[in-house]
Amino acid sequence: MNVILSTIVWAPAFFALVVMFLPERDEEQRSRVRTVALAGAGLSFFVNTFFAIMGQIGLGQGGGLSSAYQESRTWFWNFFFQAHYDLAADGMTLTLLVVTTVVFGCAIFHSWKIRERVRLYVILVLLLETAVNGVLCSADFVLFAVFWGMLLVPMYLLIRVWGGAGARRAAAWFMGFQAVAFVLIIATIAIILIEAGTRSSDMATDLQSFSRTAETVGFWLSFAGFAIAMAIFPVHTWMLEVQAKASAGVATILSGTMLMLGAYGMMRISLVVFPVPAHYYSFAITGLAVVGACWGSFGMLRQDDLRRFIAYLNVAQMSLVLLAIGTQTSVALVGAILLLAAHGLASAMLTLISGGIEERTRTGSIRALGGLVAQAPRLAGFWLFAALSVIGIPALAGFTADFMVFAGSFPVHRIATVLVMGTVIVSTAGLLWVAHRVFFGPVRDQFARVRDVTLLDLTVLIPLVAAVLLFGIRAGAVVPIIANGVLEITTRIAGG
Amino acid sequence: MLADFGHAMTLALLPEAMLAGTAAVSVAVALLRPGHRPDIHRWIACIGLVASLAACGLILLGLRGERSGVAITVWNGGFVMDSFALFIAILACIVGLLTCLISDAPVRAIPTRTGAYYPLVLVTTAAVEAIGAQREMVTFVVALTLMLVCLVAIGALVKTDPRGGVSSFEHLIEAGAGLTAVLYGVALLYGVTGTSTLGSVASTLKNAPGVVAIGVALIVLGLCASLGIFPLRRWVGRVATSVPASTAGFIVTMSMIGGAAALARVAVSGLGSGVGPWKWLVSIIAALALGHAALSALRETSVARLIGHLVSAQAAMLLLGLLAFALGSGGFPAYGITAFLGALAVSAVATVAAFGVLAMLQAAGIGDAIVGLRGLSHRSAPAALLLSIAIATLAGVPPLAGFLSRVLLVTSAADAGYGWLAIVAAVATGLTVIAAAQFIALIYREAGDEVPFTLGATPVASRIVAGAACFLGVALAVLIQPLLAVATAGAGPLR
Repeated sequence: MNVILSTIVWAPAFFALVVMFLPERDEEQRSRVRTVALAGAGLSFFVNTFFAIMGQIGLGQGGGLSSAYQESRTWFWNFFFQAHYDLAADGMTLTLLVVTTVVFGCAIFHSWKIRERVRLYVILVLLLETAVNGVLCSADFVLFAVFWGMLLVPMYLLIRVWGGAGARRAAAWFMGFQAVAFVLIIATIAIILIEAGTRSSDMATDLQSFSRTAETVGFWLSFAGFAIAMAIFPVHTWMLEVQAKASAGVATILSGTMLMLGAYGMMRISLVVFPVPAHYYSFAITGLAVVGACWGSFGMLRQDDLRRFIAYLNVAQMSLVLLAIGTQTSVALVGAILLLAAHGLASAMLTLISGGIEERTRTGSIRALGGLVAQAPRLAGFWLFAALSVIGIPALAGFTADFMVFAGSFPVHRIATVLVMGTVIVSTAGLLWVAHRVFFGPVRDQFARVRDVTLLDLTVLIPLVAAVLLFGIRAGAVVPIIANGVLEITTRIAGG
Repeated sequence: MLADFGHAMTLALLPEAMLAGTAAVSVAVALLRPGHRPDIHRWIACIGLVASLAACGLILLGLRGERSGVAITVWNGGFVMDSFALFIAILACIVGLLTCLISDAPVRAIPTRTGAYYPLVLVTTAAVEAIGAQREMVTFVVALTLMLVCLVAIGALVKTDPRGGVSSFEHLIEAGAGLTAVLYGVALLYGVTGTSTLGSVASTLKNAPGVVAIGVALIVLGLCASLGIFPLRRWVGRVATSVPASTAGFIVTMSMIGGAAALARVAVSGLGSGVGPWKWLVSIIAALALGHAALSALRETSVARLIGHLVSAQAAMLLLGLLAFALGSGGFPAYGITAFLGALAVSAVATVAAFGVLAMLQAAGIGDAIVGLRGLSHRSAPAALLLSIAIATLAGVPPLAGFLSRVLLVTSAADAGYGWLAIVAAVATGLTVIAAAQFIALIYREAGDEVPFTLGATPVASRIVAGAACFLGVALAVLIQPLLAVATAGAGPLR
């Protein structure tokens, strides 16, 4: 019996169950709790990478979920539709799973900095990892909704309980927006189940019998739901609050994994299930991407808080993904998946480093910071590395991603692509300007005793660096894998 | 089906007779040996409930091979033991059994009244079973009255302070108002049709559509009191806060099961598609009740009332299943009654679980205010975990069974053409999930000076049963198919 994907999805939850019964009275016991949690996240990561490399999670001919590696059992059938416990992994899924398992591993490593309620923290992080991996692997609409819903409460609690001042408001914003997104996603799935006429919630089923109205309504409901989750303009405000007020580890999970789920859902459901309206409204989507890119990149320049700066960077980068979704060419979509991976890793690094800076200097104000490179050269090095990946320097993950998004988008929407490319220049300037303000310039007296990265910091950051380099240097190997998954989307859009 | 009327009558009433018989035994023991081992009444009640379950099993045997899903029909079809009635009877017995097992602490406080408490539990269960089996107006009104009187009496019986008496009186007023509305409605329908059989109402609709509409409206509004939904739902909060939690759980759950079964019988078996008014009235009530309960849950300050609001929201959700009783898109069944019965079972278990955990907290001396539960996880991690699971299941937090049951109800309603109501229900679920998340966040936050406590004040058996009921909410999410299979069988006669 094949249980590779089930292991990737459920291993963290199983270890969360084990952790639940471990005591945490002293530091030694808390360390044990973290170690067991790390084993759960690590198992998920190793199974994913090992079996992907070994070719056990094979990518079938024709691409997409229908030909991908699958685990399938019927969940319930005594209803007007059948639901299945269907897990599948195509090229898109496998690539993003690498990112999520790495980021969650780093988040668990980061829990060594958490001093209070460690057990609950790691349990919630592990449940969140199960939910995120489950969303990525779901090949059934109901299962997709269940895993998506499973994200809400753990993330809300992580923001609310471990966040700093203003965490309550941030958590409320998160829950409010995500609840709306979830309702929209449920409504979309209800439309699919009722209107498609297949009496099955299997994602791989060919859904071609929609009425024009149902298709249009379904598309816009799903688009709105996933747009909120992706935090694109103008529904990005919740993410600004969460990124600024959540603890560094939780903000890392948000930047590194949760935003990508919105984009993934948009590609997997909005484009695949509703290809006709997706194509028909591509101009509107592209327009939204241009506005979002401008809003994000110019917004970055106005920020004084490091975390809010990263939040606006997220808005700008997600707009690039939206541009690719609006363009709907295979090159742009492959670039978008690669960009999700690259940005997830780089943004996670930037968030962790900004958390480290706040921890050392007791401030996240860009204006108050300066000259840190003298005391913390390696910290500055990591920041610059992540920034360069976002900017798109060759040999780093962002380069291939940006190149493919623009190369794929330009032939279809030339003006929009040029405008978005212009905003990338602004983002680049912003990233370099912040690096200059925070790390260079005269040394401030109050930061004279700031220490550089510790062994724990290195443990957290090095896997991310390795992944960024892997996706950059081995882009030639990764792109065909992603293309295998994207093939299904482009085939549907082309009317196949 | 049995041809001989005497045998059929005996077998049809066997589950109720078992309960009534053991109730009589319990009363006799209380009268003959007053004050002797109050605990014995609990075990007599458990035996009665198990015997009733066994009787249901016996009727199930007779149901084999019956494609109609009807095992026994007596009184010219006025009382029928079909698979729907069996589903309700078994569910009622399970709730009664769970209540008997977790109601140790409150009953210890009233040792002299246990001889009345447990027989009332048994008679209530029998009344709910009868409601599930009725298809005739007189039986319906008698069974409903019996259930409501017994529930009010139970609330009054376990009162340990004056608030309990006042809340029972208010429950009586509200339930009485609902019952009066039902009685007037039934009287109007009888006046128009000239028969007490609900099934004949549809055929006489053309004679006096206005009177039929008023009659149906009165019945539906009256049953809102039993279901505990807007506009007659104030008693739920009062009972939840003033009556010991395990008993409050029984009152609220049994009332919901009885009200839901009654509405299903009246609306679907009786009125069906032929009488239109009930559908739009139920859809409007469902929307208002969902909105009211969900918004109330968001700003609640008492945990017992919060559970009450969540139960009300769940009861209102059940109406979506009733509305989807007929065909859905493409001429296929919408499976609304399947979703209705599945969700009813999940709601019943989740409600008993939530009140069971609350009872443990009450036994440990923890107050009812939500603010007072701040940092509960530091004082008792098991209590916090169980309360979180129970509240999350009731609120419909994914991936628990409460969420799945809501997905089934919402999709079936949308399939039956109630898209607008499905959207209202989805939004209301979003609101209840937010309320639950706020509550769970609060109990996992630190208050600063928490004093640890244990659940040792609650007997081990009660703790195990309440904990098992909580985890059933998790297990049913995975094992939803067996529940749906049983619910589909139960829904057969109503489709």
